[in-house]
Amino acid sequence: MSDEQQAPVPALRPREPWQTGYWGPTNPDEHPAVIAVRQRFAEAFEEAVTFRDEMTIRVKREALREVVAFLRDHPELRYNHLTDLTAVDMLNLRDEPRFDVVVQLYSIPRRQRLRVKCGVNDGETVPSLVPLFAGANWLERECYDMFGIVFEGHPDLRRILLPDDWDEGHPLRKEYPLRGYRDYVQPGFERPAPRVRGSLPRPRP
Amino acid sequence: MIDFTQPTPVLLSEERQITETRRELVLNMGPQHPSTHGVLRVRLTLEGEMVVACDPVIGYLHRGVEKLGESHRYAQIVPWTDRTDYVAAPSNNLGYVLAVEKLCGIEAPERAQYWRMIMAELARIASHLVWLGTHALDIGALSVSLYTFRDRELILDIFEKFCGARLTTNMMEIGGFSRQIPPALPEMVRDFCRYLPKAIREYEDLLTENPIWLARTKGVGIVEPEIAISYSLTGACLRGSGVNYDVRKAMPYLLYDRIDFAVPLGTHGDVYDRYLVRVEEMRQSIRIIEQCLDQVPADGPLMAYESNYVIPPHERVMTTAEDMQRHFIWVIKGFSPPKGEVYHAVEHSKGELGYYIVSDGSPIPYRMRIRSPDFVNLQSLPYMAQGAMLADVVALIGTIDIVLGSVDR
Repeated sequence: MSDEQQAPVPALRPREPWQTGYWGPTNPDEHPAVIAVRQRFAEAFEEAVTFRDEMTIRVKREALREVVAFLRDHPELRYNHLTDLTAVDMLNLRDEPRFDVVVQLYSIPRRQRLRVKCGVNDGETVPSLVPLFAGANWLERECYDMFGIVFEGHPDLRRILLPDDWDEGHPLRKEYPLRGYRDYVQPGFERPAPRVRGSLPRPRP
Repeated sequence: MIDFTQPTPVLLSEERQITETRRELVLNMGPQHPSTHGVLRVRLTLEGEMVVACDPVIGYLHRGVEKLGESHRYAQIVPWTDRTDYVAAPSNNLGYVLAVEKLCGIEAPERAQYWRMIMAELARIASHLVWLGTHALDIGALSVSLYTFRDRELILDIFEKFCGARLTTNMMEIGGFSRQIPPALPEMVRDFCRYLPKAIREYEDLLTENPIWLARTKGVGIVEPEIAISYSLTGACLRGSGVNYDVRKAMPYLLYDRIDFAVPLGTHGDVYDRYLVRVEEMRQSIRIIEQCLDQVPADGPLMAYESNYVIPPHERVMTTAEDMQRHFIWVIKGFSPPKGEVYHAVEHSKGELGYYIVSDGSPIPYRMRIRSPDFVNLQSLPYMAQGAMLADVVALIGTIDIVLGSVDR
């Protein structure tokens, strides 16, 4: 891919530090990706939000794979790079859906980012993006490991960072305590470290 | 288009295919293997000496930095980012503080931005030097690591001069730098810039046309451009395949839009091309540092003290009442950015390092996600290792340039 095919670098030194133009137009009604998705997926499209110029499209979870495939294959959008896939536990912020699956897309030829989100409840599945991007494999495994979100159609959905036999649930959920559910005796100590800071056990002589 | 849900078919030679009983051997490489750059374990299925399947097992260094981020105040997370990728700690700090600054809507002063660029590029060189030394060591060229670690010391000396620490520097702060630039530092950096090109020529004399190096790296681990994009590769792994994506050029942050530098690209996408790309990147980093040193103002503010999100300077705390109150609140409670979510990416030495921060308006981030480049790049290892020789796996792990602290977070 040569330099000629790429869009020019946006203008220098904009007014506010975050106004970079890397996320396209800030008005959702002018953003080509929002217009295209809204037109093509009238039912699945939920909303488009801008914060600090970052455009976020929220869609229904059943349509996530189709929307991302549409954005990737659209000849004028070409969001061909899956930058990141993660989730946010929205337990303290709203009632439902419980999680947000967040997909960061990037278009290498157009030099633009886009964020696609979908809400998912505990126990529901999200269509996997592995058929579209090979790079989604480990990102979805991490998402499953940390949040327990099941990705339908993933070829090898198992834990990745935690041990395979980890039976304490999914640590990035908001109800998971910072130090885990169980007390572990650390090597060199006689009893487990207390959960309250202060009286740490003495190491064995 | 390749269907990635299916395992990649292995191209076996003819006589291997007609063998009735395929004798496969499962071999554990790691987690305490000297060539896995830390605690990476690779479960290899071998047929003879050929790799049939490869499954990297990670997580031995998982410390839950993202979970810890949800229980620390914004300014307290900066030291944690050091511990993710500890060979290029300033770059990690940079990605995090830029994301928080974007969330708060503040910007560091110009002089601080130049020094941030200088420190990030020095960190890139330091990381590439560690990579080059260990990568060559894995393949069998022992002497290169002696040279590269010798020169990395000079960078660590610069870090030490600036902030007192050598490895986990905790250098960047939200809003700029609160410590002053030592008067001798610019000359130290200049001396280093004058010295390093000579040293890079030494490494290249040792490796670039070395027949053993060529035999071990050329044509090994080829990743085609489409595959590289599909695997979400970034950094030298992507550019070695000829795809022109460098965050510093594509989406300039700090003041990279004022700097003239080139983005080296590979042509074949093999281990050798990625080696050439990284060596050239070191030279370009030297160019960036020299231009920054020419352009940086000699004095001026280093911290955006006018913002409410930044801890006030000591002398103002001692003299004015409102700054003392602000200081009190900042230390006791922290600062509260507006509600929202930001993603900010920087070009780390390994690829695109992104921080995705969700704020609920409290002094603690609601969610802090680290998009670490090594984690994403490492998952292309099974693709590269399919059909390769066992000895090539060592070269492939080296060429991805992983730091397990960053992979496992």
